[in-house]
Amino acid sequence: MKGHTFWSDLKNYKVLLLMLLPAVAFFLLFAYIPMAGIVIAFKKYDYAGGIFGSAWNGLDNFRFFFESGDAWRVTRNTALYNIAFIAVNNILQIFAAIMLFEVGGKWFRKLTQSALFLPYFISWVVVGAIAYNLLNYDIGTVNAMLRGLGLEPVDIYNTPAYWPYILVLVAAWKSLGYGTVMYLAAITGIDTEMYEAAEIDGANIFQRIMKVTIPNLMPTVIILVLLAVGNIFRGDFGMFYNMIGNNGLLFSATDVIDTFVFRSLITSNDIGMSAAAGVFQSVLGFATIMTVNYAVRKYDKDRALF
Amino acid sequence: MLKRNRMMLLALVLTFVMILSACGGNNNANAPAEPTNSASEAGGNSTDTGTATDPAASGTIDTSKEVKLKMIFVGPKPVDYDSVFAEINKVLKEKINATIEGEFLDWSDWAQKYPLKLAANEDFDLIYSANWAGYNDQALKGGFLELTDELLNKYMPETMKAMPQVSWDQAKVNGKLYMVPQNRGESVEKLILYREDLRKKYNLPEINSPETYATYLKTIAEKEKGVAPFTPETGDWKYHNLDRVLLKQQNEWNMFDLDLPFAFKLDDPTGKVFNVYETQEFKDLLVYYKDLADNNAWSKNVLNSKNDHQADFKAGKTASITHNNGTLGALMALMRQENSPYEVALADINQGKKKSIAISTQNGTSIHATSKNVERSLMMIDLMQNDKQLHDLIMYGINGVHYEPVGDDKYKALEKNPNYTGFSNWNFNSPLNRDNEAFPQEASDLVNSWEASVYHYDLETFVFDNSKVKTEIANVGNVMLRYAIPLEYGVIEDIDKGLAELNKQLKSAGLDKIQTELQAQIDAFLANK
Repeated sequence: MKGHTFWSDLKNYKVLLLMLLPAVAFFLLFAYIPMAGIVIAFKKYDYAGGIFGSAWNGLDNFRFFFESGDAWRVTRNTALYNIAFIAVNNILQIFAAIMLFEVGGKWFRKLTQSALFLPYFISWVVVGAIAYNLLNYDIGTVNAMLRGLGLEPVDIYNTPAYWPYILVLVAAWKSLGYGTVMYLAAITGIDTEMYEAAEIDGANIFQRIMKVTIPNLMPTVIILVLLAVGNIFRGDFGMFYNMIGNNGLLFSATDVIDTFVFRSLITSNDIGMSAAAGVFQSVLGFATIMTVNYAVRKYDKDRALF
Repeated sequence: MLKRNRMMLLALVLTFVMILSACGGNNNANAPAEPTNSASEAGGNSTDTGTATDPAASGTIDTSKEVKLKMIFVGPKPVDYDSVFAEINKVLKEKINATIEGEFLDWSDWAQKYPLKLAANEDFDLIYSANWAGYNDQALKGGFLELTDELLNKYMPETMKAMPQVSWDQAKVNGKLYMVPQNRGESVEKLILYREDLRKKYNLPEINSPETYATYLKTIAEKEKGVAPFTPETGDWKYHNLDRVLLKQQNEWNMFDLDLPFAFKLDDPTGKVFNVYETQEFKDLLVYYKDLADNNAWSKNVLNSKNDHQADFKAGKTASITHNNGTLGALMALMRQENSPYEVALADINQGKKKSIAISTQNGTSIHATSKNVERSLMMIDLMQNDKQLHDLIMYGINGVHYEPVGDDKYKALEKNPNYTGFSNWNFNSPLNRDNEAFPQEASDLVNSWEASVYHYDLETFVFDNSKVKTEIANVGNVMLRYAIPLEYGVIEDIDKGLAELNKQLKSAGLDKIQTELQAQIDAFLANK
């Protein structure tokens, strides 16, 4: 076999690379080129000057965030929530994918897959409304059931302690289908010869999962986790805002950088200040992904992202 | 090795496809809907009021070149936009050789889109502007064109004649004008709309004070199961929904900005501002609210409720709401028109207190800083406010389809009326406005009875330039939402502790710095009077 030269790779993988092309174009257009706009974070934006013509104002735009006294709290919340989401979601998704793969019956598999996928399409606004109708104190389904059983109703919306669990649960429910399909695709891509060989060697179903499926799934898992880690300092605004809204009582447990910045700047609409918050998140995200990638490289060179 | 690489590649491709699809979906959702204007479409019957006053325009100003104006409104695009605007354009074309195309920012996301239209310097000529839509802020950022006396005199002769000077003064930001304000006083004071049938059912005293209102709320909570006694308006409010009634009006204060905890006494000639949260009045009010909350006067989870208070009231799910006279009167008119089973009534629970009317910047029109058709835009506003035919068209739609004129100053809403309403044409309010004849008499009477109590004060025209304390304002607003709102809705058990915490947090958010800046600007403003 010939060595891996650029041209031979290009030829061999041309279909895959063609599939990659739109994504590359997308990122070039919407991620790399606009990156020049980062200068807004250091400027006093005015309409006449625009992005590049406005006057510089140093680190002024960053002040509101760090002087608020909440910077540490919201940054910590964001990171912890995302770590919890990544861990819980991936474990559940892998579990569901393996289950679906092992359970025969095309019909059953398709049906379950679709059912799992459904929540992914529900907008957070709707999820927020559903949650309110389930959980609110006066007429919520949960409390109506508790009352029916003669128990004390729980004032969920005024008790911050419940919310980390509720949010992790809702996030898992919503993303389960999507991740499962991704992992299912990866499992389907595993060479069937390996399963045949395992069967001939007398492996039972658990051994097959542990020794064949999971190890072969690891590259996908690592890539997905690494990519997710890069966004660890970005809170899912749609989720937090629609679930919590402006209920100040819950902020101590549920405030993430994005909701905090949104609330701070919703009235002043200052582009420079919101850009500054974005830069802060990006810098942290960049540092995290470099660190994690470095750690993965140390452990196994081939599995690192770059 | 090779196999693993291939797996990697597959995984990568999959990942990118996923990201791409996710982002792609998002982008589509955010893409602004571009309304297209089919001005050529001839709309129904033409209007019959031919009493148009010909503006000085045609004689002295060259309008030989046809221009297309684009204006941004807030609120959803009316169903009958095409037919009404076709009619408007016919008249406009004849009078000033221009046509207008509207773009509409829906209520659901106008607050995000509005500043972006200006920040991105999109191509448009006019934009609806208002103090509650960030007029001062956008003007200071350079989004609007400064309107000089020369421009106004030349292109808006009718408006110059009709508009009182005080309205112009109120619209000035740092001495410069960026808006043609509405030309009609409007009460901003909030009222209570409640269920008169329930009040009678339980034999309660007339609602005319905070105490009688509290009695009403508590009785409903206790006896009328399934009806929320009070439902607040949803939104990013930083005060209790009743504060404008119970804090501001009751104490005869005013607040410049409902995003800051500063007020001044209406009759204080020195215009001294103070932190409302540190006053005894606020503390007393907290006790009042806490008592109501403990008696279930509003839902325990009211902070998370997204219910539309007006819809709830109409459906009989809530027994009282608060809003301004115009909105509540319109709701009453609608309920009566639809033969609602509920008897409703308005209550003023601060009788005899000083009332202020909306400053002119409540609604207005601004010219985009980079508009290429400034002259024609101003002429258009001039016509919309002062030409009876165009004014009727833009405000009420097509005669015989959406409304029917009743005399000179009233109209009757026809069946199609809902197809041309709900967006911000209020900037064209003027003495030519017609009132809905179905508007409840008691609502009009109430407002008329306020005439005597309308109070004009020196600071009416003061505008706070907040550019030096933006950081502090952002943080103070955040603290208000987080600490003051739960306190006001009575979900915090210990009022004293909650209040102390609120004030402590405000201090560290930089409240004092804003106060100093605000006071300095007020002092300078009053010294110049």
